[in-house]
Amino acid sequence: MKQLSKDPINLIVSGVGGQGNVMVSLVVGNALVSEGYFITVGETYGASQRGGSVMSHVKISARKQYSPLIPEGQADIILGMEPVETLRMLKQFGNSRVITIVNPRPIHAIDITGGGGGYPDMEQLLSWIKDLSAKTYVVAATEEAQNMGNPILANMILIGALVQSALLPIEESSIEKVIKQMFPKDVVVNTKALKKGMELAGHQAG
Amino acid sequence: MATIDIDAPGTSQLFIGNEAIARGALEAGVGFASAYPGTPSSEIIGSLAEIAKQKNIYVEWSVNEKVALEAATAASYAGIRALAAMKMNGLNVASDFLATVILSGIGKKGLVLMVGDDPAAHSSSNEEDSRAIAKWFDIPLLEPGDFQEAKDMMKWLYDLSEEIGSICILRSVTRVAHARGNVKLGEIPKVDHKARFENILDPKNTLPTSIMTIPSSLRHAFQHMKLDKAREKFESSSFNKYVGPERPDLLIVTCGSGWLYSQDAVNALKIENGVGILKLGTLWPLPEKLVKSCLSRTDKVLFIEETDPFLEGAIMEYSASMSPESRRNIYYGKHTRHLNAFGELTPDAVIKAITTILNIKYETREADYAKKLEAVPQGYTMERMLTFCAGCPHRASYWAIKNALRMDGRDGFVTGDIGCYSMALGPAGFFQNRTHQCMGAGTGLANGFGQLWRFGFDQPVIAVAGDSTFYHSIVPALINGVHNKANFVLVIFDNSATAMTGFQPHPGTELTAMGEPAAPISMENICKAIGARVEVCDPFDLKKTTDTLLDLLEQKSGTRVAIMRRPCELVRGKKEKHPYKMKILQDKCLGEDCGCNRLCTRIFRCPALVWDPGIGKTRIDEVICNECGVCADICPEEAIIKEAVLV
Amino acid sequence: MLTKTRGVKELLEEVIDAGLCAVCGACVGDCPYLVFYKGKIRMLDFCTRSEGHCYEYCPRTFTDMGMLSNKIYGVPYTGSEIGTVKDIFMARAKDARVRSKAQYGGSVSALLSLALDEGIISKAILAKTTRDKLPAGYVATSPKEVLECAGSNYMAYPALEALNRIPRESKDKLGIVLTPCQSLSLAKMRSLPPTQRVNMANIQVVVGLFCTWALAYDSFYEFLKDNLDLPRVKKFDIPPPPANRFDVFIGKEKKSYSLDEVRQYRMPTCAYCLDMTAEFSDISVGSVEGVEGWNTVIVRTQRGADIIDAAKKKGRLEVDALPAQNLTHLKEASMLKKTRALKEIIKRTGDKNNLLYLGMAQDVRDKLLA
Repeated sequence: MKQLSKDPINLIVSGVGGQGNVMVSLVVGNALVSEGYFITVGETYGASQRGGSVMSHVKISARKQYSPLIPEGQADIILGMEPVETLRMLKQFGNSRVITIVNPRPIHAIDITGGGGGYPDMEQLLSWIKDLSAKTYVVAATEEAQNMGNPILANMILIGALVQSALLPIEESSIEKVIKQMFPKDVVVNTKALKKGMELAGHQAG
Repeated sequence: MATIDIDAPGTSQLFIGNEAIARGALEAGVGFASAYPGTPSSEIIGSLAEIAKQKNIYVEWSVNEKVALEAATAASYAGIRALAAMKMNGLNVASDFLATVILSGIGKKGLVLMVGDDPAAHSSSNEEDSRAIAKWFDIPLLEPGDFQEAKDMMKWLYDLSEEIGSICILRSVTRVAHARGNVKLGEIPKVDHKARFENILDPKNTLPTSIMTIPSSLRHAFQHMKLDKAREKFESSSFNKYVGPERPDLLIVTCGSGWLYSQDAVNALKIENGVGILKLGTLWPLPEKLVKSCLSRTDKVLFIEETDPFLEGAIMEYSASMSPESRRNIYYGKHTRHLNAFGELTPDAVIKAITTILNIKYETREADYAKKLEAVPQGYTMERMLTFCAGCPHRASYWAIKNALRMDGRDGFVTGDIGCYSMALGPAGFFQNRTHQCMGAGTGLANGFGQLWRFGFDQPVIAVAGDSTFYHSIVPALINGVHNKANFVLVIFDNSATAMTGFQPHPGTELTAMGEPAAPISMENICKAIGARVEVCDPFDLKKTTDTLLDLLEQKSGTRVAIMRRPCELVRGKKEKHPYKMKILQDKCLGEDCGCNRLCTRIFRCPALVWDPGIGKTRIDEVICNECGVCADICPEEAIIKEAVLV
Repeated sequence: MLTKTRGVKELLEEVIDAGLCAVCGACVGDCPYLVFYKGKIRMLDFCTRSEGHCYEYCPRTFTDMGMLSNKIYGVPYTGSEIGTVKDIFMARAKDARVRSKAQYGGSVSALLSLALDEGIISKAILAKTTRDKLPAGYVATSPKEVLECAGSNYMAYPALEALNRIPRESKDKLGIVLTPCQSLSLAKMRSLPPTQRVNMANIQVVVGLFCTWALAYDSFYEFLKDNLDLPRVKKFDIPPPPANRFDVFIGKEKKSYSLDEVRQYRMPTCAYCLDMTAEFSDISVGSVEGVEGWNTVIVRTQRGADIIDAAKKKGRLEVDALPAQNLTHLKEASMLKKTRALKEIIKRTGDKNNLLYLGMAQDVRDKLLA
């Protein structure tokens, strides 16, 4: 276990209910616990599964257990599984040093007002995200996952991108160990997705 | 869920609070656990059920929380350590038994009740701080401040429960019970459970033989004596700790989730040298000596807890009894409005309270970044309203209900209840649910409405209930309706699961908590035996379901039941492949034109149907679509096609 | 302006909630938000469009009679007693079997059967009653099915719903039987043809029915249900004055009710209707006072005339001259309906210049009031 440059590191995983937020924070958390870190994860689930905004706050520390909520403006990394949710997190928890990984696949909200307002312009959305982050990785995880045959693999692809970015002290081998524990029947396809995510993020280094 | 029986003592695992509690129960040698699903408590019995067989313990999803608590108590009477778990509403349901078991006492082996509160009601209909019941009913209560404590408190509580001869409460909140953190594991003892009901009462209780609550006042006095014993133990408990300087500028008194938030706030403000934190784990009865000695460290005291000012009130009450020289503190908290006595506690709220009291400047982020944020228009982060999943049978059921009520034309309405279908308060269910309280309330209200015809009331009333809700609390209300001849229709949504809380089984399903086969208890037979008219429909057959409802509404009098039977999409999807291939014929789609005006995206609102304003047509999001085929039946232009997939 | 275009909000305010709805069916069948159920038009969800066919084609929203008459017949609206007349005579079906099932002369059944046989039309839309005598629009494809629809039951019903359900792509040639209010609505539809509904060009012939008033589907049905074994009822009839009776034929028996008693179940909107002889049609058909078993037939267009000729040639229809006094009485009765209705309208609005849904020239109005 290494000493961290910042302690704790505040990671937010955000998305829409049903995307697999919980799974992402669980994989990352388990990998880091096995390396000896203190991990606290705070999530909203239950009612939020049904199409609402969800976020997981993950705090990583070499020293002690931190609380399950990240204070306003204190995120270090935002892993956005959906673009509007990514912007939503930046608005509440962003700051001038935050690093963002975003999956540009939109999930439409149901039309509450009946006015058919529609989803915001994707280019503008991504431009805001980039403007509000110190660095942004755009990783087309759902697209790649669909190519691989199952959209749910997007989660593992994004975890791969996170590993590649080296923002967290996770080793690829720790994730692979967790994959064997958590998905014993789907080790091959999940490992492939992990590597794909690392590849996609690797192309955006620098 | 992690398997909580991992044989790796001394290692650290990432558990949610509830898993830690369940592990704690195992390490305490618990042999019996019962509950009714309720957020944030469901994972306790859920994770115990997964390993129950191999650990040779008994775990049950009871039909409601009262039965769950009563069943667990029986185990305690027979010499088995027992646990009952529920959310705060479940506590309300079980409260009559709780009030009496306090006086009648427990058996030789300990009994712990876990209550999960949901501040901010993320997954609840109300906001409630259960700790008040400890004071109300004279029950010892502990609250863990982190995940390790959630586990460690369990064994301690069982020892306490047995030593003083009383049920004890472990109270937690969403941000501990559902948050994940490091838990160092202990050993799981091998317990040879032997159950026998001793026909002579436990000698510690010192009174005549039966387990009863009378003479009540005397037994009430005895409970006070038990509390005194508990208080003594609390004074030296390691779950209470003080961290900080000898003489701080500010003393924070906290418990539960407030413990980690307070530490985080003090860290963020970098004032560890000026702020001391007294963290209490044993909340009731109050460890008065310990509290008094901490209060003497400084004058300013800030209470951090959620949701009600429970500790705040108890300590202020206690301090009124202190001598004038000792009574020199200034108390800050909810009664001074430094924190809200409603809603969820957050590190930001704690930071704000501290900075206000100590007059410290704190910026959440740099000023120029904040300026950038102001430039982002509101519309870019639109609100996401909760809705039924794509393929959910409730959407189809409510489509039929809405249409039947509007066609019937007598201004009928729906009285709502608890479950996924509660979302019919909003656009998901076309705003059909017009009332919403607790389990069973919909049918209870309908009973009242059903008698008002004598005062000129002529509006049809439909009470709704889920299948799990039916067994929990609808049956007595239905009996009342038939006996008293109340006019209403009860619609039961039978989706073969307690879906909202995580698909736990119930008496209508084919499995028990431990995976044993169960003969489903037929709800239509129950309703018929009660004497109601019963119809069963498949909500995906919109026409037949609407016609059945119209027929039931037409009957106008008596208690009538319609069972809408179709499995929850998330349950079905795990077992079967999708039944249809869906597509939209773009040239047939009328979009916003007269004859349609976006019926599917504007009113029906399945999340898989996406309106594309660019081309003025609807399209299907194939990642979200579960291919149930219902939208094909509502499109007025037959532009949505469902092709049956041959298996 | 031919018609005013507004949306369902105004339709509810001005027509449905104002008690003026004739349940003609122009607003249902094509729209997913409006349905006809148990005698009333019901709204399932609110359509937010500010303009729609529902308002546009409703026979009780603003209707410029002059422009409509011009568009359909090429003549101005003069308020003449029985509308545009190319020819008028008595007629009846030649086939006695047809006559035995018919209300009066069986001319409607004969004409439509002929039209189907000759391929002039491939589908006919008429009223068919259920066992409980409730009428609904029915699409007949054979003379046998047409005959099953024979007979009047005097209740208002949404005939146009059946027309609206026909898809745009359909190439079927259509014949349709309508009451005056229903045919007024169809006239509005044909003069401002919808692009996404059934193709108006498919309509080959409109047969209008004479009508003084119609009975309300829901309340009249309740009355019948309470008093009769409906499946056994064979026929209803209102014999001409001075009979003042409403007759019901059950098996071989006849039961009579006072017409005054039955009149209370009239649709309120009929009080404001000026059209007795279905003036917007190709052929209008009614009874002949004092001559049992025959129809009065008014031919208004060349299309109508062609079908009559074909029916005569093929031996389906026999015709005779209409006695002069019948024509006189028909004109008087028809004019009386116009005058009464106009007076009722002005009484309701309190303003001679506000004729509710009617737009007509002032001199026409004054002539009718005289």
